[in-house]
Amino acid sequence: MSEDSEWVVESIAGYLGSPEWVIPVTDFMENKCTVFDDEDENKLTYTEIHQQYKVLVEKLLENYMEEVGISEQQFTDACSSPFAQSKALQAVFQPVLATDDFQVFRSLMVQKNVELQLQALRVIKERNGVLPDCLTNGMDMMSELEQQEMRILQEVLRRSKEEYDQEMARRTQSEEVLEPASTSSSDRPLQNSAESLGPVPAQPTNTPKKGEVKSNRQPDLVASSQTQMPVLTNGASTKVSSAAGKRDKEETGSRSEECVQKSAAVSPTASVKFPPGQDGVDAKVSPAVRPPLKEPGSSSSVRRSRGQAGEAWLEEASKEAGISKPFTELSEAQQEQLQQRALYLRQQRDKLQALKKEQQRPTPAQCKQEGDPANRSVTANGLATDRITASQTGSAPLVAQNKKDVTAEEKKRLQKRKHLAEKLKEEKPSSRREGLVPPDFVSGVDGGRPPLPDLLRLHRNTQNSTRSDSPVRPRAQHSTGGLREDPSPPVGSEASQASVTKALAPPAGLPWPMGERRWKCGP
Amino acid sequence: MNSEMGRPRAGTPRTVHLELFTRGLFSVIQKLKGTTEQELRIVLLGLDNGGKTTLLKKLASEDINTVTPTQGFNIKSVTSHGMKLNVWDIGGQRKIRTFWKKYLENTDLLIYVIDSADKKRFEETGLELAELIDEENMKDVPVLIFANKQDLATASPASEIAEGLNLHTYRDRKWQIQACSALSGEGVQDGMNWISCNIVKAKKDT
Repeated sequence: MSEDSEWVVESIAGYLGSPEWVIPVTDFMENKCTVFDDEDENKLTYTEIHQQYKVLVEKLLENYMEEVGISEQQFTDACSSPFAQSKALQAVFQPVLATDDFQVFRSLMVQKNVELQLQALRVIKERNGVLPDCLTNGMDMMSELEQQEMRILQEVLRRSKEEYDQEMARRTQSEEVLEPASTSSSDRPLQNSAESLGPVPAQPTNTPKKGEVKSNRQPDLVASSQTQMPVLTNGASTKVSSAAGKRDKEETGSRSEECVQKSAAVSPTASVKFPPGQDGVDAKVSPAVRPPLKEPGSSSSVRRSRGQAGEAWLEEASKEAGISKPFTELSEAQQEQLQQRALYLRQQRDKLQALKKEQQRPTPAQCKQEGDPANRSVTANGLATDRITASQTGSAPLVAQNKKDVTAEEKKRLQKRKHLAEKLKEEKPSSRREGLVPPDFVSGVDGGRPPLPDLLRLHRNTQNSTRSDSPVRPRAQHSTGGLREDPSPPVGSEASQASVTKALAPPAGLPWPMGERRWKCGP
Repeated sequence: MNSEMGRPRAGTPRTVHLELFTRGLFSVIQKLKGTTEQELRIVLLGLDNGGKTTLLKKLASEDINTVTPTQGFNIKSVTSHGMKLNVWDIGGQRKIRTFWKKYLENTDLLIYVIDSADKKRFEETGLELAELIDEENMKDVPVLIFANKQDLATASPASEIAEGLNLHTYRDRKWQIQACSALSGEGVQDGMNWISCNIVKAKKDT
């Protein structure tokens, strides 16, 4: 038996040195080693890569054994033989052992990463004669390219924050509106007089800031405008409920849930719960002001609630200007101003809607669109109030059920955004340990790992300017693929795995011919 | 004999395997290694901020002042009672918890760490534990629960936590709850002793 196993062991050892084994395995390692640094903590990606490695090795060995005709029994026996466990052969078997021992695998990958870096260094030195400063003096200077990327990134983040703030402001507004008890009408005149002095801005300013919002608290008017833009308010308030978290979360949350729940059956305007009295006010105002404005009609919901939306913007505009008289009683100049303002407000709304549509897949807005159009037209007149209250009581239990799920999900999303915002403030790419930055942000710019990114970038640069017969494989291209691994979201791992493998495959337009790799395998 | 091979573990005596590649390379590699040393795979889990990494570092006699929230996982090998314990500490943040189950294969012992002072999340930690216990890979795997942070004045006693977790209903496996403070090290050794008495011994006997 011992002779038999010796033959098997030698044959396998030979296979482990042959191109059939070496090429795919080195290929794998070189492609995936870029994420392996020598930090103490392991990344979750390592495990995924380790799994892929296991599959690869298993397949290779299986194929070989089938080809050569080694039975699994023979293989097992061979592995148990003292010959296979000799020191010399242990080194040869290292890549196989790595399938089972994560630590071995990790050290192999880290080593490969360092090797490739050194190789790149050598190549750079050969070409340029000297190493660039950033690679010799130990300082981790950002390359021009990287700085440029950072600027772009910061700009993107800044804008995202702005949008976020705007949205938050809007939500706070809608939230305040949703708290019926929050205002007394007695403070209205004062604030109105203060605001009415200023002309209505013809130029689009920003969406209202928080302070402004507060002074605008007029339950009835705002309420009516609220009811006129179901898409916006509901979409927003659901989020607000989780964002504002601390205060009133339960209340607003459940309310906005109700909105969502009800909307299928009742018209969108019904979604805001108000005592009939307030709806009465609404009814007084809105029929009088059918807006002459034309709607671009970008989405179905917009088209359908066209008339109402117009009213809403007019009302909001008049509210902003502090005019509490019905629209028709105003002077012509005022009317025109209001129209302008209304137009602007509606544009803002449309923008926000478009934005939101991009962000949310199944939004409450969508369910809302299923609402009965007939009902819609009625609602401004307070006729719908009866229905509303009736259906509200009906849907209450359902709401309680779903509330938890939705708010939790929303909370997560918002938290992610908050982190992004926090990151923004820091202005610098932080190392991944520092916070709960979303992984996609982190992995792209790895601040915690000094020499590599520069190296890669430099290498990428040099590639452009040199001939393609370089002994170094186009690592920079691979590495971007490798880094892309990190952002794979924690959910739906199978799907993400698929995408990862795709991402890791060498790009189609690889400037290096496949035969080029042979140089690694020796004679 | 086949049933004995159902779950290949470190240090399994050399038996003839008939279907190794259908189950993976694992056992073959064990032979290749020529395992002279017995190894134990331990997975350290629990909610974030429970003290897993601190505990791990304490076990490995490392500095515990530099512990930061774990985004990935840590591995340390500790020798205890003549056996090599490979301890895997995986981050406990909610978004990472979905990855836990990827680390449960071939596990010899689960150590579950609970922040005894975090009463608000007792229910959450209980749910996570229950979910783990139900995993196929966790079948029959003993559980050691560390009721950590006993150094805090507001910490609940281990007995109370045991009751809250319904530990007494666990009849299909060995379990133990151990009050400890990873910070001071108090109680940690007691837990390790339980491991050596119950798991290491049992393993050596096979």
